[in-house]
Amino acid sequence: MRFLNLIFRNLRRNVLRSLLTSTGVMVLVFVITLIWSILGFLDRATSEKSSNFKGIVTEKWSIPSQMPFAYARTLENGASREDGDVRPEDSMTWQFFIGTIDKNVVGFNSFVFAFCMEPRKLLTMMDELDSLPPGPKAELEKVVETMEKNKQGVIIGQKRLDALNKRVGDKITIFGQNYRDIDLEVEIVGTFPIGRYDNNSCINREYLNASLDAFKARTGKPHRLAEKTLNLVWVRVPDREAFDQLGTQINSSPFFAAPAVKIETASSGVANFLAGYKDLLTIFRWVLAPSILITLAVVISNAISISVRERRKEMAVLKVLGFRPNQILGLVMGEALLLGGIAGAISSIATYYFVNKVLGGIPFPIAFFSSFPVEDGALWWGAAIGLVTAFVGSIIPALSTRSIKIVDVFSKVA
Amino acid sequence: MMQFFDLANAWMLLPASLAAILLTLLLVWAAKIPLIYNLRNLQLRYRTTLLTAVAFTMVIGVLTFMMGFINGLRVLTQSSGIPENVIVLSQGSTDEGISTLAYEDMSDIAQLPQVTRQGDEPLCSREAYMVINQPIDDPQPGRPKRRLLQVRGLDDPVVSANVHGFELLPGSNWFSEAGVRANIDTDKPPMVEVVLGEGIARELGADRSPIEMSSSKDKASLSPGDIIQLESRTLVVAGILKTEGTTFDSEVWAKRSVIGPIFGKNNYTTLVLKTQSKESAMELESFLTGKDPDNKYEKARVNAFTEPNFFKSLGQTNLQLLIGTIFVAIIMAFGGVMGVMNTMFAAISQRMKDIGVLRLLGYGGWQILISFLFESMLIALFGGLLGCAIGFLSNGISMTSVVSSGPGAKAVVFRIVVDAGVLGIGLALSLMMGFFGGLLPAQSAIRLKPLDSLRG
Repeated sequence: MRFLNLIFRNLRRNVLRSLLTSTGVMVLVFVITLIWSILGFLDRATSEKSSNFKGIVTEKWSIPSQMPFAYARTLENGASREDGDVRPEDSMTWQFFIGTIDKNVVGFNSFVFAFCMEPRKLLTMMDELDSLPPGPKAELEKVVETMEKNKQGVIIGQKRLDALNKRVGDKITIFGQNYRDIDLEVEIVGTFPIGRYDNNSCINREYLNASLDAFKARTGKPHRLAEKTLNLVWVRVPDREAFDQLGTQINSSPFFAAPAVKIETASSGVANFLAGYKDLLTIFRWVLAPSILITLAVVISNAISISVRERRKEMAVLKVLGFRPNQILGLVMGEALLLGGIAGAISSIATYYFVNKVLGGIPFPIAFFSSFPVEDGALWWGAAIGLVTAFVGSIIPALSTRSIKIVDVFSKVA
Repeated sequence: MMQFFDLANAWMLLPASLAAILLTLLLVWAAKIPLIYNLRNLQLRYRTTLLTAVAFTMVIGVLTFMMGFINGLRVLTQSSGIPENVIVLSQGSTDEGISTLAYEDMSDIAQLPQVTRQGDEPLCSREAYMVINQPIDDPQPGRPKRRLLQVRGLDDPVVSANVHGFELLPGSNWFSEAGVRANIDTDKPPMVEVVLGEGIARELGADRSPIEMSSSKDKASLSPGDIIQLESRTLVVAGILKTEGTTFDSEVWAKRSVIGPIFGKNNYTTLVLKTQSKESAMELESFLTGKDPDNKYEKARVNAFTEPNFFKSLGQTNLQLLIGTIFVAIIMAFGGVMGVMNTMFAAISQRMKDIGVLRLLGYGGWQILISFLFESMLIALFGGLLGCAIGFLSNGISMTSVVSSGPGAKAVVFRIVVDAGVLGIGLALSLMMGFFGGLLPAQSAIRLKPLDSLRG
């Protein structure tokens, strides 16, 4: 305890240096926390689960996948034909509608990207929305019920609502960009919980499909995308075995000839999309993050080196007073570890709360992810990064204190 | 705002940095403090000097590398377009992948007077662009397990190459009129003839097994006659396109009527029109998109872009990456500034007596300030130059990434470009870090009273 007290007092002796070093640690830990959170999220999204498998059915070859909506019913049943066949526990269809609320200006402040789906599936199949805490879940359930009653109801994420300068209750027309001549008149009935879906929207699939039917009735011919409206189907199965059997059922089904379809795990599907970003993510993981860690260690090492050089006399006195070389080494390292650990912890904990609670995630659009939450692990990463880099940075200056010779120091003084 | 983030103008930072260095030297000369005094002090505290410089080197090295990556993407998208060409997509489409064009609409548009003619025929390229999900079985260590392969189906490759301004590398051929050739294994369907961009030829070449590699003519890249297996179909390389430095570098070209049905793409996605001049292209873009309500194309509703505008829009990803990199660079630089402040405050506390003597000798506060600022900027310059040199080592490295204008994206192969602009950013940031890192400590030095300094 006395030892710890000594370390604290030493740090307080040069408040400016302690402040500068800890500020350096904090900002660098902040960046590391952001980078590791993005990489951690993507790693999780691309690593296979052992249970509660989600499969993604898409067109076999082409990207973007555009299947006929007639595939939906068969795929939702897992293309099962016999009694022993596997049927998905749950499923969900995805139709993407891209539009603008200003026909003349297509830009950031008018752009709408919507998933057209069964509203209830938001609660059971959508990542993160299927595991909301009770409060936000109850709110979302209410919105879903409204969407089921009002087919023209739409949910728009908070950031998109702000960009569009609209609010819940407003009625808007979304002019189709990918569905030419399909304009959807919708009423904003709610928003998503703050986070991953801040820039997305959700429209009831029945409304889109009814609009396509209305187009056919109006023009006498089907819309040019009429047979290409189904972009993805998600199916949920309990385990890998069921997933493999489902794959066999879908691959052998004569129903999916033109276009052919494929099923892959959600993790594999995400990895597919991220393949193009492989080099960028490699740079994040193996160049950027290590460089920041090295810079961090260097900043700490510099501060400790200066401190050791300035206190050679003091250390010689400690030796005279009976402190052993290892104790002095411990004292110096203790200062570095305390400074690094506390500054790192403060930084990552503050980052966790500020980014998740205030910003609603790290705004870094990549593939189909618009923002990333700071990982729960960040609550302890900061302290760990601070401690490890402080250890690495201070070990050499600390070891140098062992070689301080009392005679040399005092002969200079004399 | 956009101009602020335009790397094309960043080269100006290089002469600006050199001017800042000259100005500093001029101030040091005017301050009449011998340079050797500062240099000896840095030498005396060589460990601290080196550690501080290493922090600068790390920050600037990473920044130069990241900026080189983004600059490579910028150069790629900006050098892909021909100003005389106009790209036509279906209305509402900004990406070729989701465009669908009717043949009759394309034929009508191709007859417009702005379109150049070659003999009796309009000079245009009718294309079906598709992105194919290519699984890679047994990938080589460090290689991807899948790739988004960009395939462009063409009616007439010679006309298309003329429109896009590409030619084949020596020893290459275009795919035949049939677009296929007999398979060695007669039980299998004919092989699809393809022409590859140089970049994708390198990428696909790197996926070959050691046995395939040992028997190939070109170890670094696929070459004419090589085979690519794409699920159950066999593709044979007819030729390699000279496409280095453009987005077409990542494309596979094949006969549309052959490749389209294989991958379920039976429609055209893109029409590229060659006009007489840049002005004609802009006029045609305006006419087709109805920018002028009194003079617009009314037979079909389409989206049109001059090629430079189209490829510029693909640079949106670059802007996002650039903003992200600038954010990270500023934060890292802030950390570096803290490091140099520590060093300079320590230098001042060790040299309080020196400062007192200098003041008693008649040196003014500003001269002391310049002296300490010079030291911190010298450390920054040394570390920054080393960082720039390390970052420069990445120049020319081949990378893959994605460029996008919103929905849809293009996977591209490109090279990192560390040019004068990138080096200018690195050097300027380094000097700024040195300046701000040294300013506060130097100010604290001039506030010291001479006699107090001498008392220590």
